[in-house]
Amino acid sequence: METAALMELELNPGIWLMLFFAPILASFPIAFIWPKRQDSFARKLSILSVLGLFVSFLITVFILFRVEEGRYVYPWLPSIGINFVFVVDYLSKYMGALTGFIAFTIGVYGLEYMKDDYRLGWYWFFFNLFTASMLLVVYSDNLLMLLIGWEGLGIASWGLIGHWFRDDDELSYVGVIDRKMGPLKMFWSPSTGGWRAISTIRVGDMPMFLAVAAIFALTGTLDISRIPWAELFENIGMAGTVILLFAFLMGPFTKSAQLPFSEWLMTAMTGPTTVSALLHSATMVAAGTYLFMRVSWYIKPWEIQLAGVEIIYILVLSLGLISSLYGASVALASRERKVLLAASTMSSLGLMFASSAASFWIGEFAIVVAFWYLITHAFAKATLFLVAGHIIHETHDRFLGGDREVFSKMKLTALVTLFATITLAGIPPLTAYWVKSAMDEVMEKLVHEVNILPFAFLVTISVIYSAFLAKFFALNFWKGRHVHLHLHGGGVMKTAYTAMVSMLLVLLAVIYLGIDHAAEEFIKAGTVEVSFMVGILVLVAYVAGFIKPEHENFIGKILYDRVYVMLLNDYLIPKIGWAIAWIVDIFNRFLDFTAHTFIPALFGGISVSIRAVQSGSLERYAKIVVSFVLAILFIVSIVGWF
Amino acid sequence: MYAVFIPAIAIIMAPFIRGRAAAYFSALTFVVSFFAILYAFVTKAEYMVDLFTAFEPVGRIYLLGDTVSHAFGFTIALVSAMVALYSYPYMKHRFEEMELNPSTEFKKYWFLYNLYAASMLWLVYAGNLILLYVFLEISLIASFLLIYYYGYGNRVWVGLLYFVWTNIAGVLALVGFLMIGFENKTLALDSIASVSMLAWLFVFIGMVVKLPGLGPHVWLPWAHAEAPTPVSALLSPLTVGLAAYILLRIYLIDQSFIEVYRSEIFLYGILTSVVAGFAVFKQKDHKRLLAYSTVSQMGYILIAFTLGTAGIVGVIIQYISHAFGKSILFMSAGAIIAVYHGLRDLDRMSGMHEQIPTIANAALIGFMNLSGILAIGMIGEFFILKGLVDTFGLSLDAILLVVFVFIISGLYSFYTMKRIYYGRVRDYEKAKVNRLLDTPLYIIGAISILFILPPLATWFVDAVISFLGGV
Repeated sequence: METAALMELELNPGIWLMLFFAPILASFPIAFIWPKRQDSFARKLSILSVLGLFVSFLITVFILFRVEEGRYVYPWLPSIGINFVFVVDYLSKYMGALTGFIAFTIGVYGLEYMKDDYRLGWYWFFFNLFTASMLLVVYSDNLLMLLIGWEGLGIASWGLIGHWFRDDDELSYVGVIDRKMGPLKMFWSPSTGGWRAISTIRVGDMPMFLAVAAIFALTGTLDISRIPWAELFENIGMAGTVILLFAFLMGPFTKSAQLPFSEWLMTAMTGPTTVSALLHSATMVAAGTYLFMRVSWYIKPWEIQLAGVEIIYILVLSLGLISSLYGASVALASRERKVLLAASTMSSLGLMFASSAASFWIGEFAIVVAFWYLITHAFAKATLFLVAGHIIHETHDRFLGGDREVFSKMKLTALVTLFATITLAGIPPLTAYWVKSAMDEVMEKLVHEVNILPFAFLVTISVIYSAFLAKFFALNFWKGRHVHLHLHGGGVMKTAYTAMVSMLLVLLAVIYLGIDHAAEEFIKAGTVEVSFMVGILVLVAYVAGFIKPEHENFIGKILYDRVYVMLLNDYLIPKIGWAIAWIVDIFNRFLDFTAHTFIPALFGGISVSIRAVQSGSLERYAKIVVSFVLAILFIVSIVGWF
Repeated sequence: MYAVFIPAIAIIMAPFIRGRAAAYFSALTFVVSFFAILYAFVTKAEYMVDLFTAFEPVGRIYLLGDTVSHAFGFTIALVSAMVALYSYPYMKHRFEEMELNPSTEFKKYWFLYNLYAASMLWLVYAGNLILLYVFLEISLIASFLLIYYYGYGNRVWVGLLYFVWTNIAGVLALVGFLMIGFENKTLALDSIASVSMLAWLFVFIGMVVKLPGLGPHVWLPWAHAEAPTPVSALLSPLTVGLAAYILLRIYLIDQSFIEVYRSEIFLYGILTSVVAGFAVFKQKDHKRLLAYSTVSQMGYILIAFTLGTAGIVGVIIQYISHAFGKSILFMSAGAIIAVYHGLRDLDRMSGMHEQIPTIANAALIGFMNLSGILAIGMIGEFFILKGLVDTFGLSLDAILLVVFVFIISGLYSFYTMKRIYYGRVRDYEKAKVNRLLDTPLYIIGAISILFILPPLATWFVDAVISFLGGV
């Protein structure tokens, strides 16, 4: 599976245009009509938007099966050698189809979930923009073009997280309303959620933007597959490499919510559940890890044994594992349906980063493992979010809760959840087990290259991960407190998440039947003793989590408050910022006073004639100015003469 | 080339047209200019039209149309056209508020407005520094009168304040120009051989007052906040940035000054941008807030000037992107003022998206322009960052400073969005917004977004790069 240099191929640009613009254009009618009329006709236009998503989905499938691997180049800024370069390779073709499918399925789900919403024009426009942006990120080989998609993701996530901008619905908040811990308010409204998202992301995007510009300045090209990475790193030396790569990775770290940038992801749950589902599976947060995989794929760090590169890959490995452990622990202690899932996503993202970073020692296979984990996780997590959305819809309650009545009245939902959780946990012989086994193998190999910590972390994380998934199932369908069900409709939603979860079976089939070349390796890894032991451990954790889903203790309380990481977002940085703003304000006032009050008053005191200037007599003023100009002209002319 | 003089028709004719038609007519002349200039820009046409030769040291007076003129020119034409449309409902509201007679006041208004906008447009086509100065003064006087007649608050005081400050700027620049003239025996742009440091210093300080940089920036929040909003929507996006144009012209002749004081100017730009950026958070008045953001954005221009050729591309794009973004934002602020009878206190706003969704969405596009998201500003930032690496290499301190500046713009943009349009909905009545109060905003917004895509982006970058001879 050596990646040969990609050929430049021809493809009708109309296909790419359709892929990105079909969803955006299809959302225009509702986006433009909605502010004017919110009647049943306008609501029907939602279907058109979903149709746009469907077109995109079809094209991604077409690319998956019918378009050759290669680079497709169309002119953009040819005078500086920056073009629209689409790449179809192992990563992008699967990722594209995954995005297309998930976005379309969630779009269909949204038709029912959002049908009574007050802001549909906004919703569909940003939902579709979100999808199109992600697809652009997925298929981009050119970094500047990728940044367009990247920024699109940022702005669309802001729009969607803050979708319920009125902040008037308790159901859309995160945290217990009016709860406080010291100076911290432990609840967040949608408008705050949106602000936290975009403010965190900007902090990462700008360094990344700089790194992209730097790569262009230093190499003259921005095509990921063409940049002479090894040469570049050698030229800029160790410090340069570390600065450049770290700046670049600030983008993925913030987008994929690694520590300490995780808080925005937790409060991103203020958006509609469809948004959380899309955001957490195939778009946005996945974009960060995906980009890291894509870049590593072509940097080929395993061939460049430079100190600067090694430092960065060790950093990513450690940060990924620590964030993953943090995310899993927070999820374990969470009491809110969506926040639990959000924290679990963070945990998974950490594993993806860690596994891709292992490629420095292991080679390309580590990236393939991370990528497969991304795919498995995407389907499972999207399913769980859609389920969570449905239960929230039926119970009007965003906290974990539900006894056997829920199970018996929502059987399909419960079974889907059960299947998704045990599959994602990595219980043999289901989908994630094989992928996780391969990951075990990767981390085990690191024992010789780095040390035993990565492997130990991975096993611990897998166990906790399994436990909170069991908790999620148990507290929603079996052992939770009693909740009132308001069952009505839900047919479309059920269809959507059933379709979503069935994709896990498709993946399983791909692995069993060896359709993809990676599958063979996965099966091999899964039959190793160590992997099996881990699988059993995970199963035990699941059972334990199911039997005793709740356990109050001190550590749990701290984890429930997410170890107070929000101190950074909500207290320290704003305090520093406001302090600077305060100083700046005083400075401005002082200058203003000096220039506009003090000095004029001084002159006024000395001379009556100056005061006359301020009388407002236009004519007189004009005369004075003209004579001023003339005087200066005169002086300068004299000076110039000599 | 002569297309830039089409708005002259509007200066003369528009005052005699009644009602809405005057707005359409004025806009039409600027739109025609816009397309003509855009065409000239795309085809990389260069013009030189001799007018006459004056005595030494003034020298040959001619009109100069090259890529830089066109780039500034089409921006000015487009924004002026859109603001002209917007002026009609806004000024009607303003005249009613001031209890003036609209039909007579509009006569004055259209004359001054068109003169103001057209003089800026002509300024960028002036081939002689004296001619340029003349246009600068015309635009200054016209805008001063507009503030003086129709401004808010203590408009007389603010008008004078504006006049004094910009005159200081103008006169300092004039001194610089004249020194250049005496040194070179001419003020024609194509014949000036070199610019002495002292002359550069005068022009630079003058333009820093106008731009404005940190320190002299105190005049700007007054003028831009208290001017009638259509005038703010020209002042802030177009006029102050013309200082960048003048500096650019001098830079293209002689770069010595910038090269010698590179790091000082760079740091000054950073400081300007950071201080003004933080000041944005503290503002309570909608238009003052936008004015501080202008100062912050002009800091970008100072920074970009020090970053070599890529930086110069950045200067040009930054001017355009800021012009588009800020004109949208000032018009959105004005729309709220017009609809809710002078509402501009941020403490009395929140959740405004509920009442005026179209304005809120337009403001979003405006802020996206400022923070360089999915709009032409993005390409500008790209060139500035490239220039940064070209000039300073991967030096950590320079990188951190510029990145910090860019982050702040993004933060205050979305913080302001949240403050005004998000959150608890207040009980203002849902209003029907006049179409002329929101459509022009969307036209500018659409063009600003189209500028990152082919064919506009392709043409644009190609024209600028081939003019500057590569980056």
